[in-house]
Amino acid sequence: MEPLSSFFAVSAILLGIGVYGMTTKRSAIRIIFSVELVYNAANLNIIAFSRLRNPPLVTGQVLVLFSISLAAMEAAVGLAIIILAFRLNADIDLRKMTKLKG
Amino acid sequence: MTDPAFVVIAAATVIGAIMAVEARDLVYGAASLGISFLGVAALFILLDATYVAVFQIAVYIGAVVVLILFTVMLVGPVKGEAPMELKRTSLFAAVLVSMFLGIGGSLANANAFPGADMCGASCDLQKLSQTLLVNYGTQLEVLSFVLVAAVIGALTLAKAEKD
Repeated sequence: MEPLSSFFAVSAILLGIGVYGMTTKRSAIRIIFSVELVYNAANLNIIAFSRLRNPPLVTGQVLVLFSISLAAMEAAVGLAIIILAFRLNADIDLRKMTKLKG
Repeated sequence: MTDPAFVVIAAATVIGAIMAVEARDLVYGAASLGISFLGVAALFILLDATYVAVFQIAVYIGAVVVLILFTVMLVGPVKGEAPMELKRTSLFAAVLVSMFLGIGGSLANANAFPGADMCGASCDLQKLSQTLLVNYGTQLEVLSFVLVAAVIGALTLAKAEKD
């Protein structure tokens, strides 16, 4: 069995890539990609930490099931908002969406 | 000591994630995102969370990636993305920092995080479903209401105007 710290390392790398994408990208769809990557990092972390106890806690898996469902909802609503923004602006560049700026 | 399957899966996950963020074409990005999700599902299997892995594949690859692909087809590319130079260096910086975080953490606490024991009877499907339905039944119902609300909200947002 692989030591759990390797899973934590993969989770940290996914989190880093996700935060990088969220901060530097301009396309709204890429930012949705990054948010999903961060969700996956969190889920992997929860599952790995639930294996720390002996016997392992099954509650971590339940939490991740809830989290995956919420991530799917978030993706659906986010993509609907992107389609709406595209219809209003003919572009999904987030840096140009400044209509609400005073 | 290091499982070769783990190395392959972790590499696929990380490379898929990088490609998803950096690929020029959004369609390739969505495909790489699917590969990354598959890698995370395989990591779940390595952690003995088989049901969660199946759920991950069904929801992420079956629903989220397909939804993203539809949106990419509908919306098309962003005009004039910024040049790559600065972004590539900052990507390397992010990966290096996170790798140092992970490796440093694992070195510092090598005894605190041993390899997980075999799960055995304590995390089989029966135990999981029992916990989910008996202890978290109310939360499951609330979650289904949230799902309905999200679907109705997404439909209302994306619905084409009649006039």
